[in-house]
Amino acid sequence: MEDIGSSGASGPSEEGGLSRRQFAKAAVAIGGASALSACLDRGGSPDVAQGPDDLSTLPARQHAWDEFLTRDDHGNVVAPRHRVLLLLNYAGEATPSDAERETAESAFRSLERAYKRGNDGLLFTVGYSPSYFERFDAGLPASVDLQKPRALASFEEPELDEQDAVVHLASDHAPVVLAAEEALLGEQSAVNGVEMDADISGVFERVDRRTGFIGAGLPAENQDVDGIPSSEPVDEEAPLYMGFKSGYRKNQATEDRVTISDGPFAGGTTHQLSKIRLNLDQWYQQDSRSQRVSKMFCPVHAEEDLVEGVGDNLGDSSQMEERSCPAHAEEHARTRGSVGHSQKSARARDEDGSPLMIRRDFDSTDRDENGDDGQASLHFVSLQRTISDFVDTRDAMNGTDLAERSAVGQRNNNGILQYMEVLRRGNFLLPPREHRALPTSNPS
Amino acid sequence: MKRRDVLAAGATFGLAGLAGCSGTFETESSSQFTTVEDRAETVYYPGHIDGMAMLGMGGSGRYRLGLMYSLPHAFWNISARDTNLARVSEDVSAHLMATIWDDETGTVLPTADVSADVLKDGEQVDSRPLWPMLSQTMGYHFGDNVALDGDGTYTARLDVEAMQARAMGGLAGAFEEGVTVEVEFEHTRDQLSNLTYEEFPDRMGDPGAIEPMEMEMPMSRAPERGDLPNVLGTGTTGDADFVAFAPDTTPEFADDGTTYLAVSPRTPYNRYPLPFMSLSATLTRDGKSVYDDVLLAGIDPDLGYHYGAAIDGVESGDSLTVTVDAPPQISRHEGYETAFVEMGEMEMTV
Ligand code: HEM
Repeated sequence: MEDIGSSGASGPSEEGGLSRRQFAKAAVAIGGASALSACLDRGGSPDVAQGPDDLSTLPARQHAWDEFLTRDDHGNVVAPRHRVLLLLNYAGEATPSDAERETAESAFRSLERAYKRGNDGLLFTVGYSPSYFERFDAGLPASVDLQKPRALASFEEPELDEQDAVVHLASDHAPVVLAAEEALLGEQSAVNGVEMDADISGVFERVDRRTGFIGAGLPAENQDVDGIPSSEPVDEEAPLYMGFKSGYRKNQATEDRVTISDGPFAGGTTHQLSKIRLNLDQWYQQDSRSQRVSKMFCPVHAEEDLVEGVGDNLGDSSQMEERSCPAHAEEHARTRGSVGHSQKSARARDEDGSPLMIRRDFDSTDRDENGDDGQASLHFVSLQRTISDFVDTRDAMNGTDLAERSAVGQRNNNGILQYMEVLRRGNFLLPPREHRALPTSNPS
Repeated sequence: MKRRDVLAAGATFGLAGLAGCSGTFETESSSQFTTVEDRAETVYYPGHIDGMAMLGMGGSGRYRLGLMYSLPHAFWNISARDTNLARVSEDVSAHLMATIWDDETGTVLPTADVSADVLKDGEQVDSRPLWPMLSQTMGYHFGDNVALDGDGTYTARLDVEAMQARAMGGLAGAFEEGVTVEVEFEHTRDQLSNLTYEEFPDRMGDPGAIEPMEMEMPMSRAPERGDLPNVLGTGTTGDADFVAFAPDTTPEFADDGTTYLAVSPRTPYNRYPLPFMSLSATLTRDGKSVYDDVLLAGIDPDLGYHYGAAIDGVESGDSLTVTVDAPPQISRHEGYETAFVEMGEMEMTV
């Protein structure tokens, strides 16, 4: 089951009532050995290259994905299409032992040997929460800014994700993320022809599982869910439910920009995770196309009709700076009474004008922890050097400063705030690769 | 999937809708909308109005909330000056409306953000943010078309966020925190389809507005011009009336020794205040600028909803320019969608 989903290969090949893309998404959402074998029965085993024998050739950063990912015609990174997030608790008492550390590390290394890094193979990261680090006497070094999660707007009341760890698995192939998960959890002993030297089932308990997808065709094929009107409004080309492309190269930070530069966790980064419920009835049924463009990008983009289709024509930039959108956010709030999501968010920049974070988010149909399916949502995964960088970006996106002095509402005509509700928030540290297995708070 | 009334709205209301279909109307479909051709950019009499039923009231602290519904209907939303007809979709069954007011003073509150979850037997049947809206019969409220799931007992859970206007006088210090209010209500299809459907074939499209409805709860009406203190001048733009005034006492947030310059924009005929605007003012004296900045939304039980700023003082002979930088970003029921969009400057001599 390939589901490579380049735009041409779009027609749902109806088989057993489900198209290829519906099937791939459903298999990942369900998970487990039976979903994996159904997936393999239907699509066969994807032909995926194994990873290197010499793992020292891999980058020191867990989050070094971009050099392995495909690029589109404009040089934008193409996000891997299928995702699983595993939320884990440390299974032992007190603090992890060196033996446990070795077990976890050899499980991770086995996965790296099994699949090469890339869209066509597997990418994964392992992160740890502030609650995890609380078990150590020493606090985290000052070179790490990892804060406990909290509500970041007056109008949200998120549940907090305080599990110890999160594993993010990504691949263009549904069976690859499923098999990697099975192998990691000790449900299968070999993967892609490589024996697992160990698994994490003795050191971690899986306490939650979240899944999703991103990329042309997947949202359209999986739009029969709550939060999307029954008129099937999601464009076949859209990588995300809201109908627009995201992740333009110039609107993301570089991996260098988000990497912690010194201290024991140098080479690491922080990983913020939120679960956002989407409510797109009004978006698709009551807003016009030009209102959607204005609210997602910037009023100028609507007035000058800059966005064609899902926005591929914008190239390698969402044209924020080019059209002075962030600089005019306050003026637009005053003179239009409406501001765009990207316009507001792009106000968060460092001294060099760089965005503060990399977005590695994806859509989902997960409804709740019971694995109940059927609610359009988005797992917002972003990487930034410090959690403060995330908070600053989210503040910019809230636009409270704009709403206070203009016709813009707290959520009405305030970007896309009206259509989303943050249900959960969690913050994690992604250590460099050498410390990714049950690190202490101050490893040497 | 959500449980939904599969009964398409049109099936129930078809007859009533068709009855209004005379030559001058453009009728989309029975449950859609009827609208007047060549609408002028003024407030006008709509083709019809839907009767409403009071569903119940609730409250928390000083917040009081009244919930009503009518047949589903189309309305216009607005971003900047871009209005868009929000049609009635197939799966909705009613138009839900909420009015929120202060229990102590009866002042209708312009809170910024209200969302509704509708539950039946503990199961969610609809969930959405409500649009801030303006209608000729009700004035300022929050609403949208929602999907119900047949006859029965429902609970509407409304999340009301903090108020986005400076609270003054008897409201000072209140409404800085949001609340959740639950209202239980009974719904039957019969009750909904028996609501009145009143048409205005003779006046439809003419300048004017239907009178405010008699309601069991407070309404958002701006004070009469004559009831406002120290009126400095009046103006009109985009068919809205503006009254500039300077109350004798300055609000708490203003510095000592300053004068509060206030501007109260309202709809013609019904005097509904117009929220979610960007307004600014310049005051000049002998050719010199005394004030040139924005006016911010404020609400006072006696002065109503208005926009204001603390300034150094105002004197007879000053010239005041009030500018609408952005028109009211509030969804509109029929008859209000063409007015209050293209708006400009008003010159007044004090
Ligand atoms: C409902 C979920 C969301 C959707 C569908 C969404 C979609 C988009 C899209 C289409 C763009 C413009 C294209 C691009 O630059 O990639 C964008 C930009 C952006 N969004 Fe979101 N977004 C969502 C939530 C968030 C959240 C929760 C944040 C966190 C603060 C965020 C931060 C940003 C940033 C920083 C930019 C780029 C602006 C810049 O720095 O140039 N977005 N988003």
